[in-house]
Amino acid sequence: MKLLGFLNLKGIGGQIAALVVASIVAIHLILAAIFLIHRPDQLDQPGAHRHSQLAAVVQLLGAAPAAGRPRLFADIARAFPQLDVESLDTKGLDTRGPVPGTDPAAGEADGANLRSLHRRLGSGYRVFSLGPDGTGRKVGIELPDGAMISARMPADSWQRPLWRGPWMTTLLFAVICVTLLGLWAARALTAPLSSIAKAAENFSLDGDAAPLPERGPEEIRSVAKALNRMRERITTLIDDRTKMLAAISHDLRTPITRMRLRSEFIEDDAHRSRMLGDLDQMRSMLESVLSFLRNDRKLESMTLVDVASTLQLVTDQFADMGHKAAYDGPEHAMATVRPDDLHRSITNLVENAVRFGAEATIRLKVSPDTVTIEVEDDGPGISHARKEFMLEPFVRGDDARNMDEAEGFGLGLSIARSIVLAHGGGLSLNDRQPHGLIVRIELPVRQPGRRAVA
Amino acid sequence: MATVSPNILVVEDDRETRALIARYLRANACNVTTANDGREMARAMTDHRVDLVILDVMLPDEDGLSLCRKLRAESQMPIIMLTARGEDVDRILGLEMGADDYLAKPFNPRELLARINAVLRRQAAAQTASATNGATALAFVGWRIDSRLRELRNPAGARVAMTSAEFDLLRTFCERPGRILSRDSLLDLTQGRNAGSFERSIDVLVSRIRRKIEPDPLEPTMIKTVRSGGYMFTPEVSPVPASANGSS
Repeated sequence: MKLLGFLNLKGIGGQIAALVVASIVAIHLILAAIFLIHRPDQLDQPGAHRHSQLAAVVQLLGAAPAAGRPRLFADIARAFPQLDVESLDTKGLDTRGPVPGTDPAAGEADGANLRSLHRRLGSGYRVFSLGPDGTGRKVGIELPDGAMISARMPADSWQRPLWRGPWMTTLLFAVICVTLLGLWAARALTAPLSSIAKAAENFSLDGDAAPLPERGPEEIRSVAKALNRMRERITTLIDDRTKMLAAISHDLRTPITRMRLRSEFIEDDAHRSRMLGDLDQMRSMLESVLSFLRNDRKLESMTLVDVASTLQLVTDQFADMGHKAAYDGPEHAMATVRPDDLHRSITNLVENAVRFGAEATIRLKVSPDTVTIEVEDDGPGISHARKEFMLEPFVRGDDARNMDEAEGFGLGLSIARSIVLAHGGGLSLNDRQPHGLIVRIELPVRQPGRRAVA
Repeated sequence: MATVSPNILVVEDDRETRALIARYLRANACNVTTANDGREMARAMTDHRVDLVILDVMLPDEDGLSLCRKLRAESQMPIIMLTARGEDVDRILGLEMGADDYLAKPFNPRELLARINAVLRRQAAAQTASATNGATALAFVGWRIDSRLRELRNPAGARVAMTSAEFDLLRTFCERPGRILSRDSLLDLTQGRNAGSFERSIDVLVSRIRRKIEPDPLEPTMIKTVRSGGYMFTPEVSPVPASANGSS
């Protein structure tokens, strides 16, 4: 069973095992192919052309009648002077070296040379070493009729260094192949994993992200499946919570409406105004929650709007409430937006600006395809590390500073941002010099080509 | 204008809210009848004289929107809808439902009073004003002001943002083109005496409107200041047929 499980090619274990087997088979195939093509057993060793020259010359001598040999020697000496072939008498042999074939000085490579030469010549010949000689090694050869000749074997130089040997090349080739194969395989196996990691990282609560791809090995597929199911559960959970929050906020409006009406009958003016302040705070909190919750529903339709008039309107409204607010920009600027949403997002930003700073400035810059709105305050600003964090819902600014002041749920900025994103624009937080914050909104203008009934 | 006490019918299913609205309006010189739902509303309208209906959107049995549509099909009765914020506002104000105004809950009772007075004045004005002939949208030099959608569009067709007070003032000007209007009469026509000081003064509103509609706000050509008199709206105003809605 275990073995069968191991052989399961859908799993990571099976795939790795299959990969190892496949790479071993591949190496063997490669080696076999190289072997069959090059036949190292029949391989003419480097420098072997001299061996074959020598063998041919010796065979020529062996086949020639003894009488013709001196002339042949002369011809060979002319044609192949490097072989240094000459007749050898037994007397000289005795004085010049040890007993043929028993030369202890002959190294292993030398022995192999002699054996290879002997193999080429055939069984009628006898080959023995005569010791080193200058650039090479002298060998003695006994021809089939008993005549002896001496010749110079090519030097050891043909012996290639170890790393250039054919088997080394093969090994190197195999190592490179296996490494590349391994890298590729690792990537192929882990790509689904990293795509899952990325998808999980990008998972956001707005719920419109695509589900994770369910492909790759079985384990990874089941991880993706499990994550997708978890995502569904989270989305359902959030939906339920959202509905609950919306229902609560919705239902709270009735008692707040009653209290608002009842407060009109409070005789004590100070008491009444304080009550109205509390009710206003409750109302604005409810409104921000409800507008945050319904934001992705995109209820409002896009229309051509004089954005400058919206900004002037917000400025005027804050000025009327006694805040220092200024508008700096052109008198008119057309863009296709959702007018009430835009108004709300700018209002939220200016609300923050006058809460944290002494005065707010709304700037408008218009280019052919973008409208840039900046809401600037001279407050303490937001540290770089907290900027991204501040855009999250239910995150408030400097809590300690505003303990006793009217404060919302920390939704203003995130509502503004999701409105801007729904417009296909972007919202960024920037530092103002010497201190303060600039919230920059960039909105696409779209084509203001439509004309109303004139 | 609002010297005679208006008769208001409040249709609201929450007993407490209904009683409080009635009490508040009675305290501000209105005659109030109340109804819990559509059937009670129909009965109240046959039994009493009603000048204006305040209609809650969320009602048992038949919702406020369909009641509004039925009411509008039968009469020109002014209707103010009470709604949850941001919900169905387009439909309420749209030609389909035909409410005259709306207020989001929780609302400021003083604002409700101001809206009631504004709607009633508008109603009275529409019956007397010859130029506007009760049209819901008016046009002047390419601009277009729509009372029902409560929006102003410039000659390029772009919506221009305005506060409620600015809009009411501009509409008052548009309904009375070429007439000198004193600050007092403008105040009467737009906000009513009893609205108190929660709206800005006429001069501030005029300068804000000028900035939005005048080609050169420093040299106004549309809303002209008349020395020691007040203001005069100079452009020619023409009604826009109800069907010519939106862009072309």
